[in-house]
Amino acid sequence: MKNAFRLKYTAAVLGALALVVACSGCGKKEKVMLFHAGAGQRSSLLDIKDVFERRHPDVCINFSFKGSGYFIADIQRSKEGDLYLPGEEFYVLQAFERGFLEPYDPEKDVTAHFMPVIMTPKGNPKNVRKVADFARPGVRVSLANPKSAAIGIWHQKIFKKAGIWEQVQKNQVQSPKCAPEVLAGVQHAVVDAAIMWSTTAVLALRDIEIIPIEPNYRGFVKLPIGVVRPPYCKHPKLAEQLKNFILSEEGKAIFRSHAYVIDPGPLDEDGFCADGGKASAEDCKWIIEAARVCKDESLPVNEQTCGYLVKEVQRQRQTKRAGTLE
Amino acid sequence: MTGEALLHKGPREGKRGRTIRSAWPAVCVVCVAAILGAYLLLIASNAVYLGLSDARWFITKHRLWVRFWLTIRTATLATCFSMIVGVPAGYALSRLRLPCRTLITTLIDLPVMVPPAAVGVFLLGMVHIFPVKHISNLLGLSFAHNPAGVVLVQFVVTVAFCARLMKASFDGVNPRFEQVSRSLGASLPGTLRRVTLPLARNGIIAGTIVVWARAAAEWEGLMLFVGGTMGKTDVMPFSVYLDWNGGMMGWVVVFSLVCIVLAVVSMAAVRLIGGRSYAW
Repeated sequence: MKNAFRLKYTAAVLGALALVVACSGCGKKEKVMLFHAGAGQRSSLLDIKDVFERRHPDVCINFSFKGSGYFIADIQRSKEGDLYLPGEEFYVLQAFERGFLEPYDPEKDVTAHFMPVIMTPKGNPKNVRKVADFARPGVRVSLANPKSAAIGIWHQKIFKKAGIWEQVQKNQVQSPKCAPEVLAGVQHAVVDAAIMWSTTAVLALRDIEIIPIEPNYRGFVKLPIGVVRPPYCKHPKLAEQLKNFILSEEGKAIFRSHAYVIDPGPLDEDGFCADGGKASAEDCKWIIEAARVCKDESLPVNEQTCGYLVKEVQRQRQTKRAGTLE
Repeated sequence: MTGEALLHKGPREGKRGRTIRSAWPAVCVVCVAAILGAYLLLIASNAVYLGLSDARWFITKHRLWVRFWLTIRTATLATCFSMIVGVPAGYALSRLRLPCRTLITTLIDLPVMVPPAAVGVFLLGMVHIFPVKHISNLLGLSFAHNPAGVVLVQFVVTVAFCARLMKASFDGVNPRFEQVSRSLGASLPGTLRRVTLPLARNGIIAGTIVVWARAAAEWEGLMLFVGGTMGKTDVMPFSVYLDWNGGMMGWVVVFSLVCIVLAVVSMAAVRLIGGRSYAW
């Protein structure tokens, strides 16, 4: 019996050692930054981290991924953070008003744009080709809750502009609370069609069909970035550098490779495309191509077939169910 | 074995009683089979969804094992801390005549009833006020966005659970043995070590494993309190959520299946060790 208890003490000591080991993750690097971000921006930001850390060997970027809205509660209590990249401009403005962020420039501090596209299950069983098809009787539609997901607001805006909001609501069979839930609904064919950001849709190339929205209903939403103010920000200069890197051509190209739109062209006052879809035509083309190439194993995956989405297609081609390259 | 043999015969029963007597075990067996069948279907369908070649691909990835060991490590540590507090607390609840005992037991049960997400929110507030902040500064410990924070959340969520299970284990030991030991001249610590703890051993071990499994399954509190830092705070259940958010269904299914395997192994361990308590 005594032995058994000695064993327990040994386990406790070993456990304490494990804690010491566990806490020394970024031990060797001198400057550890903390980046608050929406969980949806994870894949792009991990690519950014890779490149930035290679150029600044003494820097280690830690992320805190969570719902964009949790940032204020977190920084108020933890008093830590260098940069903030939520999925919506509203959160940055709110954080700035509360005094957590450096001044935010709504023109310049925009990393990329979200663009809505139509998603249907593989094979497009109900043959949904345009926004008007959502009003057809018998088409099961997913409409996100506008209170918890930005895409829900755009569902309303798009269908109201098309004058079919009432009919589409009759077709609604699902009301997801966040973007991934909309994607999962289409992936598992619970609905026949949904409108979703291209950057979310591109995550399930094997399981869904992607159809661009007609230019007059194609809206764009900013992906803003904000630098946290001292004293919360421990490395103001580095934070500025990292922000500038993300906003540089190279940084934006990384976001583009995850199907964000960098240049949406001129927009009208409601945020809809005003140039007939000229500026975003290439983005739409590669998204369609990527979905086609990913499903057809006989096609090669390279820059000629998938454009700048080549990495994304390569990642999803590796396995039947999506995983990471990490 | 027939239904007749499974049940004891009652003293007086009519024809109807006999029918019920023979049908009842069958109903029970069918219900158990239905539950097991549903579980099997859930696991099998996910395994089929993943496919063999994918399973092989994911299992060889470093990413899976980093998170696997992180989960094991943090849950084990949290369990150690929970036990250090939970065993004496359980003993106190079971043996000592505390004033307002009902109130105290109810309060101790709180974290079992309160949603883990709420625990995360409370922790956010707690680590930045007087005693906690100063103690953690003194020890050079930071709980934000690192594994220490994970252990803290798991500890807070499981400690009440642990005290409860330990109380049940001590309740199962007849106090008569302790009284005899004391009357024969053994000291209180001696009695505790030689009589109470050995007699409660099975319950304690079973409780430990259950606490460990609960700690390994925790994530809602983590999302609010520590956030997802790659390879540091994203234990497997948290990874399921984060990867689902990133549209990586492969990882979602793999992590879920590994979590299920862990749960099955730990519960099987409880049975094999012969752990018994009022709850299990």
